[in-house]
Formats: sequence, C-alpha cells, structure tokens
Amino acid sequence: MTTELSSSPVASSSPGARMFRQILRNRSAQMGGIMLFILIFMSYGAPLFTSKDPNKTAPSLALKPPSLVFPMGTDGIGRDNFTRFLYGGQLSLRVGLVGITIGMLIGISLGMFSGYFGGWLDSFLSWITDVLMAFPDILLALAIIAILGPGITNAMLAIGIAFVPSFMRLTRANVLTLREMTYVEAARALGASDIQVLTKHILPNSMRTLLVLITLGIGSSILAGAALNFLGLGAEPPTAEWGAMLNAGMKYVRHAWWLTVFPGAGIFLAVLSINLIGDAISDAVAGTTIMPPQK
Amino acid sequence: MLTYLTRRLFTSILVLFGVSILVFSVIHLVPGDVTMSILGRQKVSPERIAALREQLGLNDPLYVQYGRYVTRALQGDLGTSIRNNLPVSKSIGDQLPSTIILAVAAMIIAMSLGGVLGMAASLRQGTWFDTLVMGLSVSGLSIPTFWMGLLLILLFSVNLKLFPSISNSNSPRDLFLPALALALPEAAVVARMVRASMLDVHRKEYIITARAKGLPERLVVMKHALRNALIPVVTFAGLQMAYLLGGATIVETMFARQGIGRLAVQSIYSRDYPVVQGVVLVTAAIYVLINTLTDVTYVIVNPRIRLK
Repeated sequence: MTTELSSSPVASSSPGARMFRQILRNRSAQMGGIMLFILIFMSYGAPLFTSKDPNKTAPSLALKPPSLVFPMGTDGIGRDNFTRFLYGGQLSLRVGLVGITIGMLIGISLGMFSGYFGGWLDSFLSWITDVLMAFPDILLALAIIAILGPGITNAMLAIGIAFVPSFMRLTRANVLTLREMTYVEAARALGASDIQVLTKHILPNSMRTLLVLITLGIGSSILAGAALNFLGLGAEPPTAEWGAMLNAGMKYVRHAWWLTVFPGAGIFLAVLSINLIGDAISDAVAGTTIMPPQK
Repeated sequence: MLTYLTRRLFTSILVLFGVSILVFSVIHLVPGDVTMSILGRQKVSPERIAALREQLGLNDPLYVQYGRYVTRALQGDLGTSIRNNLPVSKSIGDQLPSTIILAVAAMIIAMSLGGVLGMAASLRQGTWFDTLVMGLSVSGLSIPTFWMGLLLILLFSVNLKLFPSISNSNSPRDLFLPALALALPEAAVVARMVRASMLDVHRKEYIITARAKGLPERLVVMKHALRNALIPVVTFAGLQMAYLLGGATIVETMFARQGIGRLAVQSIYSRDYPVVQGVVLVTAAIYVLINTLTDVTYVIVNPRIRLK
C-alpha cells in the first residue's frame, strides 16, 4: 500500500519541480535555452571551431569581407573576426555573470539583514538603497569606474555594485512578508538561531521571486558590461570582447559592416536568449506563488 | 495630502543629501593619491602637486571640504575643470540642453510608437499581430542601444544616405537617428505596458457596461479603455527618464553629439574629477526631481494611493 502511494505522480512532485517542468515546456524558454547553449558552447569551445589566434595580426589581410577562410571577415589589422568573436564571447558572458553574482551576493545578504532585523540598520540600508537608486542606469557604474579607474575587473565590480539596490529591495520585501509566517515563528520557537531561520527558512522561500530578478539581471548585466566596454572603460586592447570589438569597429563602419554587426549580434542574442528564459520563469513563478507586494 | 507631500519632499531631500555625500566622496575614494592619478605617472614637481591639492581644497579636514562643496553646489558653483579651467557649471549648462532635447525627442517617439503598437496588440490579443508585436518587444528589450544606433547608421546613413551619422545640431535631421536609437528599446517597454494595461482594463466592469449600453466599439476603446489604461503608463514616463538619461551617454558618444553624457565619459578618460562629479550630481538631482514630481502627479491623478 505504501509503495503504491509513494510512486503516485502527485506525491513525487514538489512545487519546485512542477515549476521547473512548466518552464521546460514553455516554447520561448526552449528557444532561449537552445540559443544560449549554442553561444556558450561556441565561446568556451572556441578551439574546436577555430585554430587561429584571436590576437594575431596580419596587416596584409586587413578588412577582408566574410569568406570561407574568414567567416566573419578580418579587422583593421588583419585579425580574424570570427576567432575574436568566439573568444570575445567568453569575456562578455563572464562579465555579465560575475557582475550579477557580486550584486546578488551583496544585495541579498543586505536585504535579509535589513528586513529581518529592522530598526535603525533597516532605515540606514534603505536610505542607501534610495540614494544608489537615484543614479540612473549606467551612471552609477560610470561613477564607480571614475573612482576605480577603467579596466575589466573594475567594470565587473561597478556593474555588481550597481545591481545591489534592486536585489536588496526585493529580498527585503520578501523577508518582511516571510518573517511573519507561522513556519518561521515555529522554527524560532523550536530554538533556531537567526542565522538558521534566515538561511534555512527565509532564503529558500524567497528564491522563486529572486530567480526572476537573477535571470533578467544576467541579461541586463551583460548589456551593461558591453556598454562599458563599448565606451572604452572596460577591456583593454588587444583583449577581445564584444562591446570593445564593436567600439573598435565603429571606425570602419562605412567600409566594413562585419566588424560591428557580428559582435553586436552576439550581445543581442545572448541577452535575448536570457530574457526569453526569464520571461518563462517569471510566468511560472507568478503561477505558483503569490508575488510579494511591490516596495 | 499635505502630510503626504511633506513626507515625500523630506525623503527626496534625504536622498539628495546621500547623493551629495556619494558624489563628494568620488575624489576621496580614488585609490592612492588623487593628485598622482590626475597628473599621471610622469615626474611632476612637488610645487605642481601642492598647487593642485590647494586647487581641489584637499588640505582641509573632510567635513570642511564637504561643507564647502555643498554650500557652493547649492549656489550653482560646481568647481573648476582641471583640464580646461572652465567652471564646471558652465560646461554642464552648455551641454545639458542637447541632452534634454535628445531625451524628450526619444520619449515622444517611444511613447507614440510603443503606445500605438501596444494598443493595437491588445485589441488583437492572441493573433499573429499580437505575437509579432510581443516578439519585437522582447527583442527591443535585448538590443544594446549602441548596436541599435549602429544598425540605424548602417541603414539610414551608409546605405540610404538619408540621415547623417554625426549629430552636431538639434535640427530634426540630425536628431532623428540618435533619438530613434534611444527610443526603440524604450518603445518596447511602453508597448508591453500599454498592452498589459489595456488587457487589464478590458476586463473591468465599466467596459462591459459601456458595451452593454450599445456604445460603438471605437468609443469604448478610445473614451473608456484607453484613458484609464494610460494612467499607469503616463506616470511611468517619469521613471523612463532614468533610462533615457543613462542611455544618452552611449548615444551621444556614438553619434559624436554634444551632451552631458559624452561630457561624463570624456571626463572619466581624462580623469577630470570635478567635471565627473558635476555631471553625476546634476543628473542624479534631475532624476530625483522627476521621481518626486512623478509620485506627486500619481497621487493627484489617483487619490486612492493617498490612503496607503
């Protein structure tokens, strides 16, 4: 009798698994997932697709249009644009991922403490969030770059810090609702410490809503990273990176479209695929949980 | 109402206070000696360093420096550029109008284009047209502004030769491409919002009533649905200025156009800290002001919010 019960489909599916299956069934998530997989595979498996060196110059081969030998043409000093596109993808994707991870770790921890403990710490942190949010979009990242100086590591750090306020706000809002829940009260009554309550009960339960922000955040983070690189404040030459390649290609926009169109398409497809997945996650989350109140 | 206004104004002032501290700190958070960072690695005489320290007022205690910075900023004095010795407020004053014209032009395009597409999509929910608009919208959200600008340059100035790729005036011809590049991703957001808002309103009882009493569909949509659906969209417009002011940095750099965004980027390159501080402070102040006005408008338009 018991074996029959445990093997029934209802008993074996947790809400998380149900949500995951719903995302997998979503058409746009499937498209996004495939696109993202191809981009990651091509970037990190670059040596499988090309035997050329991304930084090897050959002035005699400069500005060749796309051909069988150079699928994406060559740049102003004869480097193979396809090879640079593949290696550039590694860096662009990494900037986005590292940026969002920094923002997420700091933002979620601050938001949890702020919402859980309340008091002056909460007021102070909320004030800082408001102040950071007073800087439009990329301007905060620019201000941080102005302090730290240009460079790829600083760009990642700047993007990370720029993302802290949104993570902090959402986590705080989540914690404010969750800390009043009966199971949190029960855990506390059973003698769980604040850290245990936060990490074992509150964090896992706010993960669903945070998941949406994380996925869509990776997309924005890649965009922001590419923008900083495009402005010349990130990767230094000759490092291949999509935004920086686009910036360098601007000089030849009238003669060599391939130098700007391909790296831009890389950024676009990467962000698009993540946004498609993010949309599906957002739909799935809205279907299975009650969204926390805004602000 | 008055209590709400006072509270809102107080929050804004508190935020501006934080912004001023942060902006003031920029020069002090630079790793190492800021004068070395400005003057570069070459050998400079100690007198030159001392003169620069004096010019930046770095010899006073921090609170004196901050007090002086805020007092002067409130009087419209944002310091002097290290590179060209011009007052920062003058440089910003010269460049700001271009940025505002660009942002407003982009806003008009984004609102009208996004509004029309979003509304049309909501009226044809579930059809291929709706799918197309939503597909374009998610693509618009994913396009980097600079790539958008570049594709527009390739199409309109390199191939069709209709518009210049360098924008050095505010004539409609010069303004068109940069404004469009800035507006298209924003139009994607507007289209989504208008569609969602219209679909939401369409389920409301007063729409059913309007239909039930035999009003022509055109009147139902234009007079009843659209007006109500636009409330959240219009109040959201203020927040969009944030995106537009940030995006201006990229678009201005790309089209070699005057503006405070390009000024900020160039000053970061040349480590002209007073100018960077000035631009960041002014932009953030404008943003806080717009946000406050948006919130207040929202409360006036929608009295139910006041009760919260």
